[in-house]
Amino acid sequence: MKMVFLKSKNRFGNQSLRDRLFLSLSFFSLSLGLLMLVLTVAFLLKETGFPFSRVFRFDLIFSPGWSPLADPPDYRLGHAWISSFYITGIGLLISIPIGFGIGVFSAELAPPLIRKILQPALELLAGIPAVVYGFFGYVTLVRLFEHFFALSTGETVLAAGIILGVMMLPFIASTSAEAFRSSFAIYRESVLSLGVNQWTLLSKIVWVHAFPGLLAAVALGFARGIGETLAVLMLSGNSVAVPQSILDRAQPVTALLATELGETMVHSPKYQALFSAGFILLIMVLIVNFGILLLKKKLFSRFFTS
Amino acid sequence: MKTKHLFNKIYVLLVWFCGLIGLILPFWIVGYLLYHGIRVISLSFLFDRPRGFPLGSSGGIFPALQGSFSLILIGLLIALPAGIGGAIYLAEFLKNQRFKRTARWIIESMAAVPSILYGLFGYAFFVVTLSMGISLLAGGLVLAMVMFPIILITSHEALEAVPSEYREATFALGVDRTEWILKILLRKTWSRILAGVVLAVGHAVGSASPVLFTASVYYTPGGFNLFHPVMTLPTHLYYLVAEAISFDQAYGTALILVLGLFVFNIAAMILRRYLKE
Repeated sequence: MKMVFLKSKNRFGNQSLRDRLFLSLSFFSLSLGLLMLVLTVAFLLKETGFPFSRVFRFDLIFSPGWSPLADPPDYRLGHAWISSFYITGIGLLISIPIGFGIGVFSAELAPPLIRKILQPALELLAGIPAVVYGFFGYVTLVRLFEHFFALSTGETVLAAGIILGVMMLPFIASTSAEAFRSSFAIYRESVLSLGVNQWTLLSKIVWVHAFPGLLAAVALGFARGIGETLAVLMLSGNSVAVPQSILDRAQPVTALLATELGETMVHSPKYQALFSAGFILLIMVLIVNFGILLLKKKLFSRFFTS
Repeated sequence: MKTKHLFNKIYVLLVWFCGLIGLILPFWIVGYLLYHGIRVISLSFLFDRPRGFPLGSSGGIFPALQGSFSLILIGLLIALPAGIGGAIYLAEFLKNQRFKRTARWIIESMAAVPSILYGLFGYAFFVVTLSMGISLLAGGLVLAMVMFPIILITSHEALEAVPSEYREATFALGVDRTEWILKILLRKTWSRILAGVVLAVGHAVGSASPVLFTASVYYTPGGFNLFHPVMTLPTHLYYLVAEAISFDQAYGTALILVLGLFVFNIAAMILRRYLKE
């Protein structure tokens, strides 16, 4: 009905001169935004020294050996990637079980009153700035570790990982809660009426349907964690050695960028090495984000086709 | 059968435990900052510049407050019209579903890009290539890039939620699109758009990584000049902790940052309620 009406006049319905102005202005603002993303990708790539860049030399990017002051200087970035994955991995190990637990809790087991408080509480958790998390971790975990493990400094992979886990928690919790909620809504009554208990309902049936949503929650947590800067910068200890244990210091990619960029000569080899790290981080996050989109689409089609 | 009951009990217990963590954690963090930070905060802390030796170990945070406000102002000046305009184009003018989905995907990708990469881009493009230097303008532009996708996504969702009966009824009266958008569509959705703007601003105020090498320096006396660097609240907190200057001052700054965001959110909520009635 609407389309018939729209096509009855010219392309965009009843269109006045100011309509056309409005159309061009709004088109301009959208394309400006899209252009900025393209520009970001292109410019980061250009600053890696493209086309003679190190960005495609995965042997240089993922093998450890960073020592920019040596002669000849070594700009391999492996220590940073190892640290990044190490810290993000610990963060996920903490936030996935607790986050899924919160998801089930808010979808099924929480009394209505508590559910009402839980939602703003998670929003509050997500709204605390990264630098405040970093500071909070510094005055609690770092000092605790120094005391407890008798370390010279408590800035460790573990401290950064725990705080990162707390930061990912609201994202994993609310995304998984959404998936659990829709899955419970479909199966709760028919399955419980068979006389099985809550645990069987979740472990045998509900999680299968919720699985794409849970995967999306993990991917979202990963993308948040790998790009997180200030908290890991303040808690990881910023040491260029490759971390051997969870009580070692480390320097994730984002911390490396934040530490070194301001002191690096523009367009020097070191500058290009830093930008290649940034560019790969960008591509990584974009790929993960595309994966999340596909998962959501699958989730969507499941609901509306069957 | 008995083990099944046992499993079920453990499961229910564990889920409750996780839920309680989710409930307690945010209040614990805010409460901890409140407990340690409240005695630092005073009028002079809010309205004085950093003093003492090393600089920042006493005095206040006024230039940082001012810098954060100015950055957001510049950022919103660009991101607000661009974000809402883009959302209007997506919701009202773009009819090709494939283009629409692609555009939405690109915008969502923009929102997912870690903010330090916008800082990296801003440094290479605004600061170095366009030779703006480390300045309020460069930082404001980077924050605009951080806020733009959030404002666009939330506005677009708000606009799409308006039932098409309104549109049909309005056009049946012979009203043109400009009138429809300005007089009806935006008036029906502004409350949800405002919520998105609040989200974007809250995110941008707290993030230090986009402004770390585009706008912020350790100390400025304050003032508003587009081409001068500024202090910001998050970077001030970072420098205080990283250089181990003063933990008391850091507690105060962190508390102001968190409470400021809190008050800002509540204010927006009240505004929405009040104007709706």
